[in-house]
Amino acid sequence: MGGYILRRLLTMIPTLLVISMLVFVIIQLPPGDYLESHIAELQSHGESVDEQKIQFLREEYGLDKPMIHQYWYWLIGMLQGDFGYSFEYDLPVTEVVGDRLFLTVIISVATILFTWIVAFPIGIYSATHQYSWGDYGLSFLGFLGLATPNFLLALIMLYFANVYFGTSIGGLMDPEYIGAAWSMDKFLSILEHLWIPVVVIGTSGTAGMIRRLRANLLDELQKQYVTTGRAKGLPEGKLLRKYPLRIAMNFFIADIGNLLPAVISGAEIVAVVMSLPTTGPILLTALQSQDMYLAGSFLMFLALLTVVGVLVSDIALAMLDPRIRLQGGMEK
Amino acid sequence: MKHLFSGLILCSCLLSTHSSQALSLQETPLFAQQVEVGDLPPVSERVPEQLQLVRLEGDRSAGEHGGELRLLMGKQKDIRQITIYGYARLVGYTPDLVLKADILESYEVFENRIFTLRLRKGHKWSDGHPFTSEDFRYYWEDIANNPELSKGGPPKTLIIDGELPVVEYLDKHTVRYSWSKPNPYFLTALAGALPLYIYKPSHYLRQFHARYQNQETLDKWMAKFKKRSWQSVHFNRDRPYKATNPDLPTLQPWSNQTWPPSERFIFKRNPYYHRVDENGRQLPYIDTIVVNIASSKLVPAKTGADESDLQARYLRMDNYTFLKTASKRSSFDVRLWQTAKGAHMALYPNLNTNDIVYRRLLQDVRFRFALSHAIHRYEINQVVYFGLVEESNNTVLPQGPLFKPGYKSMGIEFDLAKANRLLDELGLDRRDDRGIRLLSDGRPLEILVQTAGESTEQTDVLELIRDSWQQAGLKLYSIPSTREVFRNRIFSGDAIMSIWSGLANALPGADSSPQDLAPTSKYQYQWPKWGSFYEFSGQSGEAPDIPAARQLVELNDRWAEVATREERESIWHQMLAINRDQMFTIGIVNSVPHPVVVSEYLRNVPIKGFYDISPGSYFGIYKPDTFWFDEVRR
Repeated sequence: MGGYILRRLLTMIPTLLVISMLVFVIIQLPPGDYLESHIAELQSHGESVDEQKIQFLREEYGLDKPMIHQYWYWLIGMLQGDFGYSFEYDLPVTEVVGDRLFLTVIISVATILFTWIVAFPIGIYSATHQYSWGDYGLSFLGFLGLATPNFLLALIMLYFANVYFGTSIGGLMDPEYIGAAWSMDKFLSILEHLWIPVVVIGTSGTAGMIRRLRANLLDELQKQYVTTGRAKGLPEGKLLRKYPLRIAMNFFIADIGNLLPAVISGAEIVAVVMSLPTTGPILLTALQSQDMYLAGSFLMFLALLTVVGVLVSDIALAMLDPRIRLQGGMEK
Repeated sequence: MKHLFSGLILCSCLLSTHSSQALSLQETPLFAQQVEVGDLPPVSERVPEQLQLVRLEGDRSAGEHGGELRLLMGKQKDIRQITIYGYARLVGYTPDLVLKADILESYEVFENRIFTLRLRKGHKWSDGHPFTSEDFRYYWEDIANNPELSKGGPPKTLIIDGELPVVEYLDKHTVRYSWSKPNPYFLTALAGALPLYIYKPSHYLRQFHARYQNQETLDKWMAKFKKRSWQSVHFNRDRPYKATNPDLPTLQPWSNQTWPPSERFIFKRNPYYHRVDENGRQLPYIDTIVVNIASSKLVPAKTGADESDLQARYLRMDNYTFLKTASKRSSFDVRLWQTAKGAHMALYPNLNTNDIVYRRLLQDVRFRFALSHAIHRYEINQVVYFGLVEESNNTVLPQGPLFKPGYKSMGIEFDLAKANRLLDELGLDRRDDRGIRLLSDGRPLEILVQTAGESTEQTDVLELIRDSWQQAGLKLYSIPSTREVFRNRIFSGDAIMSIWSGLANALPGADSSPQDLAPTSKYQYQWPKWGSFYEFSGQSGEAPDIPAARQLVELNDRWAEVATREERESIWHQMLAINRDQMFTIGIVNSVPHPVVVSEYLRNVPIKGFYDISPGSYFGIYKPDTFWFDEVRR
């Protein structure tokens, strides 16, 4: 096991290196650079441009240097914990992202909990009561959730929440609490706003999870060991929890790899539509305005979490399910 | 000296300058407590001895202090809008677009080349430090002429024919800029939405400047702000327009109190502001401006839910019906202001396009007129704009002082017969089996119009133009891309035609520069290469090769040299006439109304106005420091 983990850790280095190159090249692919996007944006609003300041900034940000030089500078900086400078915000990347990370984690954790709490009982019920009215009804709801575009649901819920409950549109708290110190009122205001993004982001995830749990569980329920257990007189509830449900959970463990980056990135599109103070909109605008170090460092962070997440879920799977072998195929 | 005085143009605002003793000044309630405990001097010591007295007349009235103005912006960077709205400038425009001293007590101009600026005695920065000619000296000597801070030297508007001004600091309150030739750009640059800052808070910025500090202090700042040079630290701390540094002293009515990054910025009133109303109340009336950052697409919805007190940015004409409905259950009023662009949409034939066949055609004035006659502007107005806009060339607006009827209407009537006749005359009489005319080399005449791909409005308009051009035997394709690609295709000459808005300032006076009418900048999409040639003094681009364009360049240069206003006005009219006769850009509609949402409780916001950055600085020329709240919201 130890050797396996070490090997996996070592292969991460070239993987991340390749990702970093890809990320950097792709961000730089559109024509122009941040300052040109910036000038274009100013001019589209009719604002004048101070050419001298632009020239100063170009040198200051190192945009006049060749791309390979910029990449090297960024890479070396990241190894030393310096994630570069955001042109758009005129602040170090860590300060820009740091502020929002906490709220993003709150939303994501709440969403994940919501998904589990809703999906588990429904998935188990659907599988154990296959082709019943309950199964059909809940599956129908699940598919509706899967099929409705998130952003549309978000807009509709924003509208009704505003008209019927007077919740301010968008954001994660009433405006007066932004930047204020933590207090009970602020917390309540967050709770008041939190449910919309949680339900919106959660619906599609819930539906997916119901279907997968149902399918996995159905596979197991047909197997002989279940029949044997039932024949030996095990009560239905215990039988279910003790054997087939455990095995049906494999997909859930395998999901952790995707979960980690998702917790940090926080459903970009919904966040943009609902104007949530999470990291998603930052990443999107950074890509649009070619704020390359902000976008690049953020994507690298996501890549790192994905790679680590996949490793964690592989190890967890191996520990949970004795049928899975780490050295698969090697002994032959 | 006598000769000099006879040439002086005295500015009219001397009358409104008052000594602070003559008025009975009233303390601002917000500061009462601080004054009492001695944290802040009383109002009589805060306002300049020579304060600016503001009389509110007509439908505007003197108000009372207090309240919080909520605004919505789409990005953190947008807080610079408060610097534009605040609009405290050395000299600024009035709503009638007349230049007037504002931060300055007065100014004198001799032969348009010697400018004497007089500061208000006792004027202070927002931190209470005196504002004097030293602040001008600091900018000129330690910033503009410091090769380490300004590599390219002082800004272009201060250089006339390669000559720098002589800057004299006559006393603590008087500064003089003199050139040997006229500089017509100087005052308008001071009054711009993004003004030319020729003064800086020297007492604050010195602490970051290598001339005044030792290396140790500079190193400390570099470490603190994570910058690699003292120049970057100085540059970063000194951004008066961007308002990102709450520590930077200002002369604006409100100053930012929130360090970025944030989703909510608080601007507080400047206790040392120089304007006072007739009842002795120091302006601004409103204590606080709160800027909430929301996704720009949500701004109309949030405005409709009554989350803004004064909103125009990120609202569009097509939000009007939604806002009007929402206003019935909320406490705001939706007004329609006018935009001051020469054209809301204009087609830009690229006279520098690389394709030689198309270039010859586009450079022929008859072809441009044929294109214009084949556009059904009335239909576009009715279909896309509910009939609320004006069908017009890309030119000055009737409300401006330089307007003549022909500028607006020549060549814009929908006349397919005339369009077809002109095209036949050009030798484009052969057609393919679709009825599309053939070029001299046998290719079908297909015009690719580049769009920046930002609004469906442009595509809607192009769709209508395509239908009518089809009847003149022209095929139109619209090519959406992103803004950067769009511009690069135009600059490189790959684009044949593009669609964009027209003249940025269509309400110019004779003293505003006419450079937008002549090839002077590469950002002019009808002749980017000629513009580039002028802008970079022949080092890039191409020299204009049609007489009318050369004439425009000559006229533009002459405008800067002539001494009298009458001559400048006559040059303006010559340039407008050339643009009218040549139709270098094909304007479609202008005077598009812009929805402005105003809280019911907010007073002194005009019912009708112009909403544009140039020359109005959005709300700036209507002086938001005089806006005030009803009792309910104070």
